[in-house]
Amino acid sequence: MAEWSGLHSSTSRHTMDKSITLPPDEIFRNLENAKRFAIDIGGSLTKLAYYSTVQHKVAKVRSFDHATKEATSDELYEISVQEEVTARLHFIKFENAYIETCLDFVRDHLVNTDTKVIKATGGGAHKFKELIERKLGLRVDKEDEMTCLIKGCNFVLRNIPHEAFVYAKHADSEFRFQTTQPDIFPYLLVNIGSGVSIVKVESEDKFERIGGSSIGGGTFWGLGALLTKTKRFDELLQLASKGQHTSVDMLVKDIYGGSYGSLGLTGDLIASSFGKSATADKGFPKEDMAKSLLHMISNDIGQLACLYAKLHNLSRVYFGGFFIRGHPVTMHTITYSINFFTKGEVQALFLRHEGYLGAIGAFLKGAEEDNPNQYSWGENYAGSSGLMSVSPDMNPMQRARSGTNPRHHCHHTKFDMLEMDRLERKLVNLPLLQDASSYIPDTVDLAEDALAREYWLYCFEEALDGVVKRALASQPDMPEAAERAEKFRQKYRHKLQTLRHQPFAYGSLTVRSLLDTREHCLNEFNFPDPYSKIKQRENDMALKYYQKVVKSLEELSWEERQFALIRGVLAGNVFDWGAKAVSDVLESEPEFGFEQAKRKLEERPWLVDSYDQWFERLKGPPHKCALFFVDNSGLDIILGVMPFVRELLSRGTEVVLASNSAPALNDVTNGELQILTESIAAMDPVIQAGLREDRLTLVQSGSSSPCLDLSRLDKVLAMVVRERKTDLVIIEGMGRAIHTNYYAMLSCESLKMAVIKNSWLADRLGGKLFSVVFKYEVPAAGHDSEALTPP
Amino acid sequence: MAEWSGLHSSTSRHTMDKSITLPPDEIFRNLENAKRFAIDIGGSLTKLAYYSTVQHKVAKVRSFDHATKEATSDELYEISVQEEVTARLHFIKFENAYIETCLDFVRDHLVNTDTKVIKATGGGAHKFKELIERKLGLRVDKEDEMTCLIKGCNFVLRNIPHEAFVYAKHADSEFRFQTTQPDIFPYLLVNIGSGVSIVKVESEDKFERIGGSSIGGGTFWGLGALLTKTKRFDELLQLASKGQHTSVDMLVKDIYGGSYGSLGLTGDLIASSFGKSATADKEFRCYMAKSLLHMISNDIGQLACLYAKLHNLSRVYFGGFFIRGHPVTMHTITYSINFFTKGEVQALFLRHEGYLGAIGAFLKGAEEDNPNQYSWGENYAGSSGLMSVSPDMNPMQRARSGTFDMLEMDRLERKLVNLPLLQDASSYIPDTVDLAEDALAREYWLYCFEEALDGVVKRALASQPDMPEAAERAEKFRQKYRHKLQTLRHQPL
Repeated sequence: MAEWSGLHSSTSRHTMDKSITLPPDEIFRNLENAKRFAIDIGGSLTKLAYYSTVQHKVAKVRSFDHATKEATSDELYEISVQEEVTARLHFIKFENAYIETCLDFVRDHLVNTDTKVIKATGGGAHKFKELIERKLGLRVDKEDEMTCLIKGCNFVLRNIPHEAFVYAKHADSEFRFQTTQPDIFPYLLVNIGSGVSIVKVESEDKFERIGGSSIGGGTFWGLGALLTKTKRFDELLQLASKGQHTSVDMLVKDIYGGSYGSLGLTGDLIASSFGKSATADKGFPKEDMAKSLLHMISNDIGQLACLYAKLHNLSRVYFGGFFIRGHPVTMHTITYSINFFTKGEVQALFLRHEGYLGAIGAFLKGAEEDNPNQYSWGENYAGSSGLMSVSPDMNPMQRARSGTNPRHHCHHTKFDMLEMDRLERKLVNLPLLQDASSYIPDTVDLAEDALAREYWLYCFEEALDGVVKRALASQPDMPEAAERAEKFRQKYRHKLQTLRHQPFAYGSLTVRSLLDTREHCLNEFNFPDPYSKIKQRENDMALKYYQKVVKSLEELSWEERQFALIRGVLAGNVFDWGAKAVSDVLESEPEFGFEQAKRKLEERPWLVDSYDQWFERLKGPPHKCALFFVDNSGLDIILGVMPFVRELLSRGTEVVLASNSAPALNDVTNGELQILTESIAAMDPVIQAGLREDRLTLVQSGSSSPCLDLSRLDKVLAMVVRERKTDLVIIEGMGRAIHTNYYAMLSCESLKMAVIKNSWLADRLGGKLFSVVFKYEVPAAGHDSEALTPP
Repeated sequence: MAEWSGLHSSTSRHTMDKSITLPPDEIFRNLENAKRFAIDIGGSLTKLAYYSTVQHKVAKVRSFDHATKEATSDELYEISVQEEVTARLHFIKFENAYIETCLDFVRDHLVNTDTKVIKATGGGAHKFKELIERKLGLRVDKEDEMTCLIKGCNFVLRNIPHEAFVYAKHADSEFRFQTTQPDIFPYLLVNIGSGVSIVKVESEDKFERIGGSSIGGGTFWGLGALLTKTKRFDELLQLASKGQHTSVDMLVKDIYGGSYGSLGLTGDLIASSFGKSATADKEFRCYMAKSLLHMISNDIGQLACLYAKLHNLSRVYFGGFFIRGHPVTMHTITYSINFFTKGEVQALFLRHEGYLGAIGAFLKGAEEDNPNQYSWGENYAGSSGLMSVSPDMNPMQRARSGTFDMLEMDRLERKLVNLPLLQDASSYIPDTVDLAEDALAREYWLYCFEEALDGVVKRALASQPDMPEAAERAEKFRQKYRHKLQTLRHQPL
């Protein structure tokens, strides 16, 4: 509650002049098509939300109609770039001082809208009502502040992975992100604005303000101003972070000479906040008083939060409001207090997009007819500022520039943005996860592993030129492609630099998030599928070998064939443009073939090798249904995976092939796989029968990432998996089986296969380039899984 | 917790000089026979306790033995006045500034004692340890502060009828006394000293500090001193009682223009303590003191309610120097408790709250005398009344008697219990009319007792025709009782 603190006048007094030129490419993007507006005006910051449609180029594949005269072409399918319209939510945060400039800008750029209303919330909404109506010509429709806050909170908790985090000041990584829980309710939201509201949220529409306190951010600000004559909130926090509270506070040891053991009170515990200041003969340093005040308020809120959590039996407690927002100092003291009072039973959780909750909620209220909760949404890394980009404390480099002298604010600290794309499909958990609530897709959290972080950031920077070159090559006929490619390069490089300083900007920093950010940036500049032509060439080439490969496998004994099939999948997996070592080879040796790939493979025993167990299992009854997450186009899918699928079908196992919904690197997309499978079926009666009898099914994963998050999969996939009683999950490739899911525990048998095509990673795992990971696991309930872990 | 606030030096600076002449008849009574000593030294006040025997004349009646020769008398029984020795507990409270004078006085008047030890508690005990040992020649034996506090609290709740009361500022009678409960456990004790300790008491010997807060009396004092440049606690409270907090605090209506109905928040609710101070151009000392008082009282009130709910306790007693004798803080705490529990929990205060530590320390030392085996009764003649040290209640008295406050308890010969036939012992009130709540009746009866006083004196004198000093004693009685009646007129409680 009480986000708005009536301090508008003082805030604006201290900020820079109000006329700035807004860079239209960067902020307020896609305004032309903006449909719905919502605004949340707090004490010092305004958050504007709008819904807009974005035209994007997408790459589509289509079989040639071989009856027409173009059938003379060698190519199996044609690639076309089409325009697609997708929905995107835009959120922009700026200081209230700019509200007029921003409203003017919005009015000037608003073209196609037929909106008549803007939803408004926040304590400041009534203050600016008249201005908004006059500037935008929209009717201001006020929405309840708390309802909006909760609605927004539910939305981000449900839709943004790694939204919530734990703050640990002295840990290797300050932010520990939490995985999205399948069920977000119930939870406690402690909103620390001017005062404190403590809200219990039980379901989407049911919440109750169960408590509150008048000792909040406004108290820190107000008392702090009286005590230190410092009127800026940020400066007060800075003072506090430098102070020594022990000169002002009376500690237990000041009273008892040490600890008070029989009551379990340590000597350093604060017995009385400001307890020494009544007798002090001289004044205290400002810093010390600010620190004491901060402790007093944080501890009090922490204790209240704990008591309410206990009374209502809640274990998830989220903190938000301007007192918390982006301030490591207050996150630290609140966390400390919660740990102290609950003895670690309750964790203080914070939200990455906490500042946007009200705006998101107000927007959702207005957009209810568009059913935003029916869809899944994904954060667009390309268009979103990362966590903390406005915080002066985190990044000392930035502070020097922007904190001390407000006139030198650079643009990115003035405006903070969040963009969320509506995903075409609703995403859900894979039903076969052993414990969805503890599943973490990523194997290494780069934020916690400085060495790994250094390496991968370097790696992605190194690869950038190649990616730009390939993006350009994919659009030879478009003259402006060079300019877009350059913009892409700059944007992605800037993101990498940001991540180097703020590894937590988008939640946990992982190889997956680096890859996904690159894909988002490529899409942003209309390079929907830079690998389309390469994939096409490889697919055409590989198809020619299919029958030959199948025939040679047929000639082997059963035992030999089982091993050869696995070697085939692994050899196919060597072809991966995502890995630099391979893309070098592929570009310099175009004839690098399937047989050569096999020769490159490590001989058994592999780095991780449970082939013997797998082989034993094959002697047993066939699996009911196998779910196969496939990886690359070309040799991988056609010569490696398809023969293996064929063998499974022959054993009587149904197969579900899950491929990406949209392009990522050279991964085969669902569209491509449809065409490829049909053309294989034309050559192979086993595949044909499988399709005809519905024993071979193609589904899309819902993902467009080279990695795999088993907690965000297409709803249809989950349904098929359940219906078919899937009892085997096969995950292939470095991105899906090593960078992610290496430690994923499934409730059925699983097979994780990959070839390590990165020498640094090979080193880390104790292997070498082209080492093989073959991990066959059976859940603990059955026989011993013999799960092998990397040495 | 943290009753002692390290503020001793500043307190003494502001109080009068340390040499005073103690009127021996009035305070430190019966010192000659004092047996056991205990002392509780807080941040500003010292509480001394001792156990003593009192020689009293008691009237006895005896049947004449009709077989003896006196049997010729017409009378059925004879009356004799005998000396009887009874036990009495004395508690004296005085400002720390007088500690030396008082110790000297005690030493000079201590005659018949064979005590070697004085029990000591309170945060200040270690500070004065050396002084006490030197002055009294007794060994200082430190007792745990919290244990003493709880022991003392149990003792007064059990032995003093009308010990606990509810405070209602605007009611006809500010203090509504609670009848003694047959079972005093369990209860919550919220001790607001420099900081706050929240203690759950389950039985005579079982208690637990279940919570606490650093925002307590020391915070009011310390922050108040920084904000208002007023260094005296009492003055801060006086400032606070005059101020208008709404120019410092941000109210719900300051944010939303009115109430926030859907959340059930009224417009006058404080949304943010000191929420307006960051932008305010003027600062008023009394406004800030008031806002601070509200902030701290509300916070403690909320914490107390939450702990009471969590532990399923309905009796919550408040004590500590922040509360002690200050109607202002009793009012804000009561208000806060009512607000947060919607009336389900009542804030209770104790008449002898300031003595709890001393009583407890004394009891620790007297355990061999089994004080809990007996019932004790407050001796109204030797005890100061509630509030006699409070400057706010009675402006006439403030100047005179802020210095010493006394409590005396007589050991009753027999343990007193409920009549087992009472329908509901916990709601039984012996008195038909509470004169404190009935001004007309109070006027009448006070007048009535005053009128009757001469007759009573005459009758008392006539009962002891053979004793020459009886006249002097009768006059002392007259003065004492008249003074009590006058006190009761001003302070019906």
